[in-house]
Amino acid sequence: MATLEDRPALTRFAENLRALPARLRESAFRSGAPVSDRARSTAVFGNVFLHLHSVRVHRWTLRWATTWGLGILTLSAFLIALLTGVLLMFYYKPYPAAAYDSIKDIHFVVPTGRFMRNLHRWSANLMVVGVILHMARVFYAAAYRRPREFNWLVGMALLSITLGLSFTGYLLPWDQLAYWAITIGANIAQSPREVTDALGWTAWFDPGGLQKLLLLGSDEVGEEALIRFYLLHVMILPIALVMLLAVHFWRIRKDGGLARPADADQRLAPPARRHYPVFTQQPRKTYHLAALVRGRSPQTQGPEHTVPSLPHLFYAEAGVLMLSVALCLLLALLSDAPLKELANPAVPENPAKAPWYFLGLQELVSHSAFMGGVGIPALVLLGLGLIPFLDRERAGTGEWFGGPGGSRLVVQAAIFGLSSSILLEAFTIRFGWLRQWWPEVPQLLITAINPGTLLTLLFAGYSIWAMRRHDSTRAGATALFTCFLAGFLVLTVIGYYFRGPNWDFYWSPAQWPGH
Amino acid sequence: MRRRKHLLLWSSVATLLLLGWAIYEEHFGQEWRRLQQQYQSRLPAGQNFPVQLRQIVVPSLAVTDRCVSCHLGMAAGETPLEGDPVFGAHPPVAHDPAEFGCTVCHGGQGRATSRADAHGDVEFWPLPLLPAPYRYAGCGSCHTHLAVPRLEAVQRGRALVERFDCLRCHALEGRGGTLRPFADGAAPAAPDLSAAGARGLDSGWVGKHGPGALPELAADERSGIDAFLSSRSGAPGLVEAKALFHSLGCRGCHAVSGVGGDDGPDLSQLGRRDPAQLDFSGVRGDRSLPNWLREHFLAPARVVPGSAMPEMGLGESEIEGLTFYLLSLRGASYPEAFWPRDRVRAQLLGERDFSSDGATLYGSFCAACHGPRGQGVRYPGSSTFPAVANPDFLALASDEFLTAAIGRGRPGRRMPGWGSSGGLTEAEIANLVGYLRLLGNGAAAEPDPRPTRWVEADRARGKELYIANCASCHGLMGEGGEGTALGNPVLLETATDTYLVQTISRGRRGTNMPSFAEASLTHRALTRSEIESIVAFLRLWETRP
Amino acid sequence: MTLQAPPTKESRLDPDPVPRRDFLGLAALWSTLAAGIVALLGVLRLPKAAVLPAPSRKFRVELPDGLAPGTPFEPAGRNVAVFRDPEGAVFAISKVCTHLGCIVKLDPQGFHCPCHGSLFDPQGQVLKGPAPAALPWQQVRKAPAGGWIVDEGTTVPAGTKEA
Repeated sequence: MATLEDRPALTRFAENLRALPARLRESAFRSGAPVSDRARSTAVFGNVFLHLHSVRVHRWTLRWATTWGLGILTLSAFLIALLTGVLLMFYYKPYPAAAYDSIKDIHFVVPTGRFMRNLHRWSANLMVVGVILHMARVFYAAAYRRPREFNWLVGMALLSITLGLSFTGYLLPWDQLAYWAITIGANIAQSPREVTDALGWTAWFDPGGLQKLLLLGSDEVGEEALIRFYLLHVMILPIALVMLLAVHFWRIRKDGGLARPADADQRLAPPARRHYPVFTQQPRKTYHLAALVRGRSPQTQGPEHTVPSLPHLFYAEAGVLMLSVALCLLLALLSDAPLKELANPAVPENPAKAPWYFLGLQELVSHSAFMGGVGIPALVLLGLGLIPFLDRERAGTGEWFGGPGGSRLVVQAAIFGLSSSILLEAFTIRFGWLRQWWPEVPQLLITAINPGTLLTLLFAGYSIWAMRRHDSTRAGATALFTCFLAGFLVLTVIGYYFRGPNWDFYWSPAQWPGH
Repeated sequence: MRRRKHLLLWSSVATLLLLGWAIYEEHFGQEWRRLQQQYQSRLPAGQNFPVQLRQIVVPSLAVTDRCVSCHLGMAAGETPLEGDPVFGAHPPVAHDPAEFGCTVCHGGQGRATSRADAHGDVEFWPLPLLPAPYRYAGCGSCHTHLAVPRLEAVQRGRALVERFDCLRCHALEGRGGTLRPFADGAAPAAPDLSAAGARGLDSGWVGKHGPGALPELAADERSGIDAFLSSRSGAPGLVEAKALFHSLGCRGCHAVSGVGGDDGPDLSQLGRRDPAQLDFSGVRGDRSLPNWLREHFLAPARVVPGSAMPEMGLGESEIEGLTFYLLSLRGASYPEAFWPRDRVRAQLLGERDFSSDGATLYGSFCAACHGPRGQGVRYPGSSTFPAVANPDFLALASDEFLTAAIGRGRPGRRMPGWGSSGGLTEAEIANLVGYLRLLGNGAAAEPDPRPTRWVEADRARGKELYIANCASCHGLMGEGGEGTALGNPVLLETATDTYLVQTISRGRRGTNMPSFAEASLTHRALTRSEIESIVAFLRLWETRP
Repeated sequence: MTLQAPPTKESRLDPDPVPRRDFLGLAALWSTLAAGIVALLGVLRLPKAAVLPAPSRKFRVELPDGLAPGTPFEPAGRNVAVFRDPEGAVFAISKVCTHLGCIVKLDPQGFHCPCHGSLFDPQGQVLKGPAPAALPWQQVRKAPAGGWIVDEGTTVPAGTKEA
């Protein structure tokens, strides 16, 4: 029988043409239809996107209660923001007055433009909510512990970049809201001057002024600032975020999947019958050699508690993705992204409020610009970053509110955090602070002693008490984290609902003067 | 596994449904689409009309107006539907909407495509559509009507036009013009007079009428009609509103385009004020600029706490007129190539937007404080403004004294120096002085042969007499009160000794200043030398810093 | 606990025993796909602008009184040449080359395109070069307020003039 090669070239060409669809498919998807577990595995590690996941995933990971899908929710929100953001760039013009007009055009005449802008706004908000909840989940499950310390740090960087993306996006519409919120933000960046001024160092050591200059490219918010914020928002920060995300996901795999309790296997129901061990007959490949070398050998005995990622994990991830999409769509349909009047440097907004997630900071800033805007946030970030290195215990890893004290301690700390911050704020609102009592008091004293720093000290003290009480570093960390979360909540709510013109306290916006 | 599949299924289904909702909103939920479909169905069959957004773009005016997406009768190339409030044609105006857009005159948000947004009935739009009664205030975005006289003069011209029955043949602001004098069509119909002034009044208009078509006109009647027709700009009511502003003396305290007092806020851009920047806590009714202005005229201190503006006791029509005029002070910053002639003449050549005759000047700058007839006014809570048309005063005050008083004002008092900061020219001040004499029934100053300073008398005695007789009204230190502030440096510098002596001895009839040469219930008669000693005492304040 | 191998499938190399009709899974996947396609279609609508930012293509010109027949009048900023014929009727010819959109230059012989050498006669007909069609004539109307209104957006048959 003559082989294909023996036939005339024209016949071969016709054969090749006939076989084209099949060969195209084959060249793209080498593993064939995923009907056997092996084909599924091949599909996963043969695909650049799927292979961010491990091929098999532990059943503990797939329990809803393990993660509540918060990480994927945040990622989905980012993807929606990315897509809608790129689309908005078709029409957005980053130049002062033109920017405002182009947003008006996007709102009024661009096909689907208003909807895309709403989606962008809501997905960005969802991303911030998601990233905070995700961090809280990881913390309360003690999932930051060895070997996941580095990924916790990467996560913190991602949190900062997420907030940076939100902050830079805030200026782009160039309306009053944007202009004055960024003016305040830029002056917070300048707030180290509060200390250098008080010490008389500003003339030769001015980190605050430098920060503001780098941010705005000028001494006030103008076209230079707009182009910088645009660059940060559409280029620098998204690239940084995507790169760190890749590290974040890759690290999850390299750190052995999600954290789970040491006795997770025993606590899970026995596997269904159709699951069977990985290493039965003739494994074609193993990637576990490295694990063997490092002394963590794969389990070959007992029931197999991992399942293939290909249908199981991906259904879950796709489900959460679609849920986030649906949520964003719903919010975008119900509520329009705000757009106020064209920015007017001569008429300040009163009150000029930052986006909601910065209102806690703005509340602190109203006590001391440096401490609220730079000092305490830096301290909090430092503290969060150090948690996995200062808590080296093993008890409670992978469990909600795991570790000594448990959920009881979390509730106590939450009550302590809420009540102390509410009381301190109420006291300040009712009676004022040092400057109202002694107008001559030096600025450095206010910078050092203000409701923000007092609250930080209180929380630190409570954490030390919890550490001693439960004789556990984990308990200290839990107490501190919970207190800060509660304080963040209280300050944000006060900033959002109860602050009016001149940052005065009002029970409701209906009481604002001039309304 | 089943739960995960359910999650994916139902979240995807929800996504699909929500996308369907979004598609509906995008394609069927928009007002302009529904309106265009309505319009389409009312067009004659066979007329091609694509449903799509329409707009007027004028880059040099930064205009992007999508108003014509709904007001289709005004869109280029579309058929207006007769008499329809939305789809009708634009009433004939001098300006083609395709050349200028809509928002330049009407306000509102040109980029918007929904009714509420476009009309500016939303939060965060600083310049909403001008309401119908004040529609022509939009002309003020570019135009500055020049040489507008006081209201009385405009009303007189209108009365003449009515008296001579001009409207029988001519149309004016939507009235009249029904009779066709040339029924055979040999000659054109009588022209519409609504914009006679804007087009430039033909000075030979009398001769253009056929023989016998016009009754004989006296010279002052002719000039009255001329002045009236010259003020016809195609903006009904606007010139009348401005004339009213020029009759109530508003510019005594408020500057407009650089001319006027500085006691109150400059009004030059008032028509562009963002209602969101106004305090509405003392205002009844809606949160719009016209309503704020109306309420403010009713009770300034209620709307602006601490306002120094008195309650003027204005009538309803006066409030409407002033609101109309103030809304027209829009002064938009368009490129000079777009400026109409009147604005060029006003802003670049310094021509006046008020008529420079004495009566209009008095009405524009003086009437609010000194009274419409110069009788003096006392508003509650402020000191008395002098009666400048008082014949006793005018008989003593020389033209130089009046010119100096107007030109230099009374520093430190509410009377500004009109020749300096007020922005009036010497000729205008001379016209004012002439008009004051008219108000005082033509009283000319008595000639005064004496030098400006001649009094030599006992100042200590003068002081005693001043405290006994004058201080209760003029203040212990001459700071004023019921009476004039005598310590004012400009007053003391420009008033001659004769003037002071005569004023004290004769008093001013019709005011609270009695004659001190004669006894009254409250004081004894002062001798000539006693009066001179008071003047000598007053002169002491001249050297005081 | 001992390992119990399922009876029907011994290894991960084996295909799934019975290809189960997984309605739920298929429905989920198809609805996801459908949602994705609908979303994509919506996204694709965005780049096509609903309104063009360009100013109106209709404009008014005042022709100079002494404009000789055959001499073009070229309004600034517009790609159109306006002519008056010996009878005084007015017409307008587009200056946009029908080949690739360059702006043609006027000379006494007609129009020539600097980009690829197309040549048109004074009526806009192609004489030579790659241009596939004559230069379009554009609508001219007498303006009520005097002058002429040229509409660059409306093409009229060659030879159409407005008296």
